[in-house]
Amino acid sequence: MPARGLRSVKDAADDLHRRTLSKLARPLDRLIYLASTRDYNTGIYYHDGLAVTYGQDVTCQALAECHRETFRELIGTSLRDLVAQMEDYMASVHLSAERFILAWKKLEPYRVTVPVESDPLATEFLFANLRTALAIVEMRQAHPASLARGASPAPSPAR
Amino acid sequence: MLQLLFFLGVGGLLFVFLLALARRGKAVGGARALIGARQALYTLRSELLPHDLVVRIFAREDLEFVLSLHSRAVESIFFTQRRRVALIWVERVQAQIRHLRHLHLGSARFYARLEFKTELSLAWNFMILLFSCRALKAAILIGGPYAAPVMVRTVADAATRVCEISSESLAFLTGAGLEGVGGSTGSLPPHSA
Repeated sequence: MPARGLRSVKDAADDLHRRTLSKLARPLDRLIYLASTRDYNTGIYYHDGLAVTYGQDVTCQALAECHRETFRELIGTSLRDLVAQMEDYMASVHLSAERFILAWKKLEPYRVTVPVESDPLATEFLFANLRTALAIVEMRQAHPASLARGASPAPSPAR
Repeated sequence: MLQLLFFLGVGGLLFVFLLALARRGKAVGGARALIGARQALYTLRSELLPHDLVVRIFAREDLEFVLSLHSRAVESIFFTQRRRVALIWVERVQAQIRHLRHLHLGSARFYARLEFKTELSLAWNFMILLFSCRALKAAILIGGPYAAPVMVRTVADAATRVCEISSESLAFLTGAGLEGVGGSTGSLPPHSA
């Protein structure tokens, strides 16, 4: 019964939005969170709480759909907004800026955050933007005065 | 006389065999081209021509933001990254358009009955598009991703027109029809540009 299955996936996705994703205001945070629910070896998404109510298959589909949706949202984000999101994310992980920047530059952890089916151009565009955003965050850490100039982040719709 | 009839018979059989072989080769090649064209249409519409993505790749808003930082290092990284993405975009559009052109030059006429006017329009758009792609690629390589915004629009618009015309001329390519020629690449999404 595909119609019922589809409704269940939508219900599960709505549930996830209501209980979890709404607390992660920034798309970058949501992308990282959703990618972390995916098994690296199989690509299957897991969420124990949702699985109890909706079953593993529906949960996996709902998480995958939310992941794709967040990815699309981040693709449409301006560079200015992405920099603001990265700075806020960096502040939220309680690491020194130097360590965070070094890890993101060397390990490029954002590479494992994209949905499996995402198209190569959009993926490459996001990576390119994240590299640039990281360079801007690094520059701002080294020269905090640049924040005071005209480049201060605009209020993000995500915040 | 009997010998002559015998050789004529063998020759006739050989001719029929070769004719059958040639027709079979054309059908198999045509089926491959049809699947390739369908995939090209799908890639163009779902991955390369969505309006929002094209606008974001060439967004001046990002350029203005980076310039406002007054940092040579950041500008250099931004231009390098954006130029690479812009080039990937042009090259992929060019490749998919070549796939479509290959189909229209070769196999399409065996399957789709195109009006002369439609064929002419397609040929014109293919020419404009492939020329614009080459020019845009050169402009991006020399002047960066923001060197030719008008050309970006020209390429995106012409590619959209080619997609629409190709789609109409290949409307007979339903999922079931494709299964019959050896594969399916999923249904085509509605055009979003």
